[in-house]
This record gives sequence, C-alpha cells and structure tokens, in this order.
Amino acid sequence: MHFSENWLKEFIDINISTEELCEQLTMLGLEVDGFEKYKSKITGDDSIIKLDITPNRGDCFSIIGIARELSALNGLKVNLPKKEKVNEVLDSPIDVDICDECPRYVGRYVEGIKLNKKIPPLIIERLKLSDIRSIDPIVDITNYVLIETGQPLHAFDAKKLPNGLSVRFANNKEKIDLLDEQTLKLSKDCLVITDKTKPVALAGIMGGLDSGISSATNSIYLESAFFKPEIIRGKARRYGLQTDASMRFERGVDFQLQSYAIERASQLIMNVMDCNFAPIQTFEKKKSIPKEKKVILEIEKIRKNLGIDIKDIEVSRTLKSLGMKIKPTKSSEKILVFIPSWRFDISIEEDLVEEIARLIGYDKLPSSSLSSSSRKKVDFLNENIVSNLVSLGYNEVITYSFVDEKEALLFDKKNKMIFVKNPISQNMSVMRTTLLTGLLSSFRYNYNRGQESIKIFEIGSIFSKGKKIIQKEKLAGLVSGKISDIHWSDENRSFNFFDIKGDLEVLLNNDFSFKTGQLSFLHPGKTAIISLKNKEVGFIGALNPKISDSLGIKQEAYYFEIDLNSLPKNKTKKFSNYSKFPVAQRDLAFLVDKQLPVSLILELAEEKSGRNLKEVKLFDIYQGKGIPEDKKSIAFSLFWQSMKGTLTDEEVDSIIEDISEHLSRQIQAELRS
Amino acid sequence: MDIKSLSKKSKEVLSQSKDLNSLEEVHKSLLGKSGDITLKLKQLGSLPSEKRKTAGKELNILKNNLQEIYQAKKQELKRIESEKKLQEDSIDVSLPGRQIKRGSIHPVSQTIVEISSFFTGKGFSVASGPEAESDYYNFEALNIPSDHPAKDMHDTFYLDNGDLLRTHTSPVQVRVMEENEPPLRIICPGRVYRKDSDLTHTPMFHQIEGLLIERDASFSQLKGLLEDFISDFFGPDTDIRFRPSYFPFTEPSAEVDIKWKKGWLEILGCGMVHPNVLEMAGIDSKKFTGFAFGLGPERIAMLKHDIPDLRAFFENDIRFLKQF
Repeated sequence: MHFSENWLKEFIDINISTEELCEQLTMLGLEVDGFEKYKSKITGDDSIIKLDITPNRGDCFSIIGIARELSALNGLKVNLPKKEKVNEVLDSPIDVDICDECPRYVGRYVEGIKLNKKIPPLIIERLKLSDIRSIDPIVDITNYVLIETGQPLHAFDAKKLPNGLSVRFANNKEKIDLLDEQTLKLSKDCLVITDKTKPVALAGIMGGLDSGISSATNSIYLESAFFKPEIIRGKARRYGLQTDASMRFERGVDFQLQSYAIERASQLIMNVMDCNFAPIQTFEKKKSIPKEKKVILEIEKIRKNLGIDIKDIEVSRTLKSLGMKIKPTKSSEKILVFIPSWRFDISIEEDLVEEIARLIGYDKLPSSSLSSSSRKKVDFLNENIVSNLVSLGYNEVITYSFVDEKEALLFDKKNKMIFVKNPISQNMSVMRTTLLTGLLSSFRYNYNRGQESIKIFEIGSIFSKGKKIIQKEKLAGLVSGKISDIHWSDENRSFNFFDIKGDLEVLLNNDFSFKTGQLSFLHPGKTAIISLKNKEVGFIGALNPKISDSLGIKQEAYYFEIDLNSLPKNKTKKFSNYSKFPVAQRDLAFLVDKQLPVSLILELAEEKSGRNLKEVKLFDIYQGKGIPEDKKSIAFSLFWQSMKGTLTDEEVDSIIEDISEHLSRQIQAELRS
Repeated sequence: MDIKSLSKKSKEVLSQSKDLNSLEEVHKSLLGKSGDITLKLKQLGSLPSEKRKTAGKELNILKNNLQEIYQAKKQELKRIESEKKLQEDSIDVSLPGRQIKRGSIHPVSQTIVEISSFFTGKGFSVASGPEAESDYYNFEALNIPSDHPAKDMHDTFYLDNGDLLRTHTSPVQVRVMEENEPPLRIICPGRVYRKDSDLTHTPMFHQIEGLLIERDASFSQLKGLLEDFISDFFGPDTDIRFRPSYFPFTEPSAEVDIKWKKGWLEILGCGMVHPNVLEMAGIDSKKFTGFAFGLGPERIAMLKHDIPDLRAFFENDIRFLKQF
C-alpha cells in the first residue's frame, strides 16, 4: 500500500522524520519498502511511503489502521475527523435483503448527485499518491474513504434498483457484466448483490456495469457492507480480479466500521455537492455477525516464551494501547483479553505474545543459548562423493527439475512422465525422467560458447508416474572433448569410455559390475549396465550419435547415471594387515576367442589363483598379425603374497598350471609362450 | 732424464690434463706397468749402492707426490664433468607445468554445506523429503488453509496428478514431526519451486529450514542461535536486526536483516512454531514448544561471493562454475 505521509500525520500527531517513521513502521512489522519525497502544492513537503503489508494485517490496509499502530507504540491518540451532520431529509426507497455471509449491510440513499462538480484537489492528489486514478467525484470519495478507513464502499445508481437489493449466492453459470466491461460466468460459491433478479455486483470484489453511476445519475445508493472473509477469499484470484476491495475483504474488514465509513463518505459528498440524504439504513443478521473474541492469557507464558521479566501491569497497558480490553479472571496469573473488531489475526495466546514482543521491539528482547547437544554427522549432503568427483575433475551443475517435453521424449515415453499443469514456459513443462536432459543442455550451453571439453555432474531427483509419483535421487555425469588442456609435453587425446568407467571405479567398490547393455539413447556397442549384487543401479555409455546429431553436438559424449543410494556409504575405516614377505609375480598370455569379454577370462584365472593372490593386472590385448583371425591375445600379470612366508617357485608354478588347465577346459584358451 | 727434470715434467703433464681420459693416460704413462716412473724404479737395481739409496728415496717421494696430484686432479675433473653433465641436463623452468584439472562444487552446494555444518555442530540432523508434495504437507499441515491470502505468497506449480512442487522445505519438517517424538533438532536443505521468473527470482531455488522442538524452546533461544549463526557466517561485526513479520506456521514470526553495504538486507525468516502446526503433526503443544527458521542459499551465496545475477546459478556456464 502506498500513501501520503501528510495524510497519515493528520490522524496522528507525531513529530518525527520520515526515516524514523519508516523505521518505526518496519520494526512494528509493517515493512516499509521505501519512500519517495513529494512536493505538494497543497500540503507542502510530503513523502509517498510504500508499505508491504503481510496477509494477516488487513487492519493496517488504511490510514487509520497505520495510525493506530503508531499510537500504540508512541502512546499517542488517533485523531479522527470531526463529525458533521448531513442533510437527512429523505426517505430511502431502497430495501436490502441480506444473508448470513453478509451479516451487516449499511446503506444510504442520496439525491442531488452532480458528477460534473469539482472534487477538492487534495483528494485527487492523495488518491494519486496511493496509485488511484481520479474517475468522478463519487468514485473518488468512495476510494478516499477506502484508503482512509479500510472500508470498501460502492455506489449504485439508485434508478437502476427499482426493487431494491438482495445479497445471495450466484446461481450456477449466472452471468455478470462487470465495471471493467468483462463478463463473468459465476459458480454457486460466489456471493453477489442482485437487483432481486440479476446480479449487479460481485460482492466485495467489483461492481456491475449496468448499475454503476454515469453522467446521467442523480441519485445513488451507497453500500458499506461486511462480508465474511472466507466467502471472498479465493474468488478474486480465481477470476484474476484482485481489487482494493477484495484485498481488504479477504483479509478481514472491521465489522464495526460500516456506519462510520458511510458517514465519512456522506460528509465528503456534502462538501462537494449540495445533496439530500436519507438516514443510514442498517440491515443485520445479528447471529452471524462475528462475536467479540476473548483470549485467556497466562502472563507467565509471555515471560517464558520471550525470556523477559515484564510486570503484569505493563502487559495490560500494552494490550490496552492496541485497543484491547482487559478483565481479571479468578486466577491471579491469568487475564481475559477482549480483541478489537479489526484484529482478525488474533485468536490465541501466542498471538498476544507476539503483540507484546512487537511493542517492546524484537531487538530489545534478550538472546540466550541452546542447551548443548553433540555434533551430528552430515551424510546426507554426499560430501564424500562430491569431493571425489571434484578431484576427478568434474564441475558440479544444478539444472532445473522441469525440462522441455521434446527433449524429455528423446529419453523416455510420454506415459511415464509427470507434467506441470501451469508451467512457467513450455520448455519447463515436464518433470525430468533422467538427469541427462539437464546435463545435455548445460553441455550444449557451454559447447555453443566454444567450451568443447567438459566434465560435469549433478545430484538430483528424477520423477516418473506410478500409483504415487516416483522420485529417485540420482548421480549423473557427462563427459566430452579432450582429456586435458593442450600441453607442450603430451599428446592431447579425447576422452574414451574407459576414462569415465575409471572415474566410476573410483567412486564404487568391487561389489559393482559392468555388463554389456542396450539403451535407446546410448551407442549400442558402447553401453554398460551397472549392477550392485545383481540389481541394476545405473548405466554408462556413449551418447547415441543420432541424439548428439539432433542436438548439434559433433563429438562423442559419455554419460553415466546411478542411484545415489546405491553408492558406498562413508564408513569408519578399519585397519587391515599387510604382508612383510616378498611378492611373487608371473606374466601370462592366452589366446582366446575374440568375442569373449576379458572380465570373464580374468575371473576364471582368479578362481584358480589361490588365497594368496593379491592382484591381477591386464597389460596387453592384441589382435592381428601372427594371431588367428577369430582369436585375440590377452596378457596379464598375477601377483601373490603370503602373510606367512616367502612363496616358493614350486608353489607358484603349480598355480599357473591350474590356471592354464582351467582356462583351457572352460574357454579353450591356449597358453602362449 | 734426471729425476729433477722428470719430476718437473711429469707434474706439469698431470696437472694440465683436460679430461678424465687424458688424465688416466698420463697417469698410466707415468705410473702404469711400463710408465716412466715405474721403469725408473725397476732400473734402481742397476745403480751403484750409494746412488741407489738417494735415487730410490727421491723416486718414491716423486711417486707419492704424483699420486696425490693425480687424485686431486681426478676429483677436480670429475666435479667439472658432472657439473657439465648437469648443465646439459637443465630444463626451461619457465615452461607451464602439467596440472591435474580439479573440478568445482557448485556455489549453492558449497553454501548449503557451510550453513548446514554450523547447525549440525549445534546438534541438528539433516533431513530430506520429496519435492513433489501433496497440498496437505505443503499448505494445510502448515496452517495455510485453501484460499487463505497467505497462499498468494506462494505461486505454486501444480502437477498433472494433483500434487504440487513444494514451495518451501517446511513439508519435510511436518513429516519429521509426524514420524519422530520430540525433542527434535533438524535442518532440511533442498530444492523448492515457485512460479516466478525475473531478475531476482528463478522458478526453482533452494532453501534450508531448521526446526527445533523441545520442552522449553523460547524466542530468546531462537534469537541467540541465529545471532551466533550470522556472526559465524558473516563475521562477528555484522549488524543484525529482528523485526516482526508473518508466516502462517509460526507465531510470533520474525524476519532477520543484516546490514550490508548501505542498507538492511533480509536474509532469514523465523518464528515460534504455531501450536496448530504442532497439534496437526501429533505433538502436544501444551508440553512442547519449538522454533523454525528458513534461509535461501542462493541469496547468501550472492552476498558472499558478490554474484550479481541469480540466474547465473542455473546457467551452469563453466566459466562461472570454475570460479568457486
């Protein structure tokens, strides 16, 4: 809410600078977004103060409301304008039927309206400073009273209401033409004001087009109503019609304010044009008018929650300064607090604790320390995995969890996807089903800016359809380009599959296995499925060229994705002993079938290597000259070491014999040399 | 040649040797099997006895002298030769070194870890929960009934199955309260989503929220904890102010500003947990009180690292990422 400082100062006699005033308001919880100096030809130096009012403080959506807060803080009183009698000479021809949702409806019939009359420039100026355009004297005055008091008013052209008014719920699909010239189709939960047949206003939100005032109007019916907040709530948003009125009604308008506001408007009208007035009419559903709220407050609670030593009398004085009434109860520790009709936000003890805290000033409240508690380990943040990846040269990225549908369809079927119903843009309309979408677009972003070598990773959730939404946390990496920067002493080769596999081997342990697999978006000959104890947990491979081509990427890219939960947990490490005796080494070469995976050959060799085997190291794979066309030569070193003594040549030779026999029998491998 | 001139000549030749090879040759020609000196010594027997005695003495002194000169010369030549070798073996140290390229941790993750580690040190455990949430956990259980104006503070993304993308990490707090008995101390970092995109908003960002439920949790403890945090994170001279605010799930509620450059900058929201929230999660609000706080890692990372544009966090430009 924007308002003129001078207007506020008419209601409260406070002699402080604009800066101090703003500071006071902010520290009361009425956050000032800033102020702008304004030179008024009428009132002199002025400022436009910009308030950010939280949704609980509907009562501060007015000059009087703000003045009330300052009066409580500074111990000053709020000065209301002097009441003047208007010329009550008419009888009202209008009668209003009301309902429980509009338990108080105050109206006044006025004759002698002349819209060509000039309105005082001060009213126009103040409305302008509150971002309200001047329309005609009646609308301007209702808006002026709205800003001043917080009570929304509406003026009907009385001639358009031959049968009076009635407040009721709309019929299903009932139409209304609004002041802003749009037609709405209403639903049954919308409250409307009707001329007893058709709607003439959307209650608490906006007036209708036909019943509004025009240059031909000479009599009006002023409305000052109380609508229950819960009836107005959500409706304005539903129709995209946030108005000054709806904003106040949905937060709660003081249910005792209606007559005061209509009197104030009447006086202002009387000052502008010579009108005749009917007496105020008040229509009420007494049972549905909110009751005065009462809260029992245990004063000790304030002392305990805020950690302050405050006297009972100080608590009472503070609450009274906010317009509350206090009564003692039978218990000397408790008081009964009556909540003013404008405070919709107060209903429990805690609310009163906040009021006391606010008025004391949050900054003046003491601080204390927590009882000590032991440090907790932060496993969840994956610090170990992240630091390994960083050492391996990966840069962490964070990409949006929603992606472009077209890109998502490259990797998954539409029926698996979760869609955002109200995306912020079409390229953020699907929840990602793989982290690949985001990593690829980060890669493309950098690739298109000349950064062709990249090593990136992300940790995040992917989403897919199930009975409930399935969310899984994944770790994914994408690698492409040259393995290192150009360096004068090295050849500069590109990444290949085994660089990425090697990175994963650093993160994983021996429980994980890599087996040939197929995924539609990966290269059919360069894809492995990663399993942990026979359960699939991830995959690794080269991006299928048809995907990279379609994205304009002209080089090989490798990708891996793995369940975050499957990764080895960071456990406390335990010492394991190592041998003091020498290592025995043998190099072996076998001729095997070209199609056999090397891992199988090594596994078979390990099976017969005895318990002293420490390591197997593959050092050569050869195909070509000197080797039959359907064969390959595999060469590897075996290392043994015993905890008990030096291994003899005889022991090792006998193991070699076993291995060679086993490989020959199982896979027809032929020992070379 | 007499011994005198032999002595002079051989000393000269030895000390003039240019390298180890020529030194060895000269040595051999003097003291080798058929060297001049060796021969002279062999010839001693043919000399008359009185001459033999003096000549023998002189020759042996000469031999020892020459050996000493030879050894010294050898040492010197060896030193020169190895120095020469090192000279030839030298490299251009101005050439660039070979680096193992280290990657980088996203500045938002770094900030989350840094913030979390303060609170884990105070006994808070890290908790997490789903990003696709139900209306109940995101709003209702946090005292935000449907149509409440407070919902306008959260521009929500809805999903096609009726769920929504959480607008804050508070649903995690509700889930933890439902599943655990107090006392509780948790922090929940994670991604959150709001339908908002401009210079200062991205549709996805992060939050870290903390929750403490104990028998006598008080506003003054909340103040003390957050003051400690700010002084730990931003430095002990940072000016702080607490001012009243509104969140449906806390009462009293506060926002915390720090003095940054010229003005006050909001960095945290907090408050005492609203009794309705405790009761809905099955905690007796007569017995337990609690407080909660929330902060935005992006904003804090921007302050800390002088990052001018929020959107840089999600563009993932390598030139940006490598700076952190």
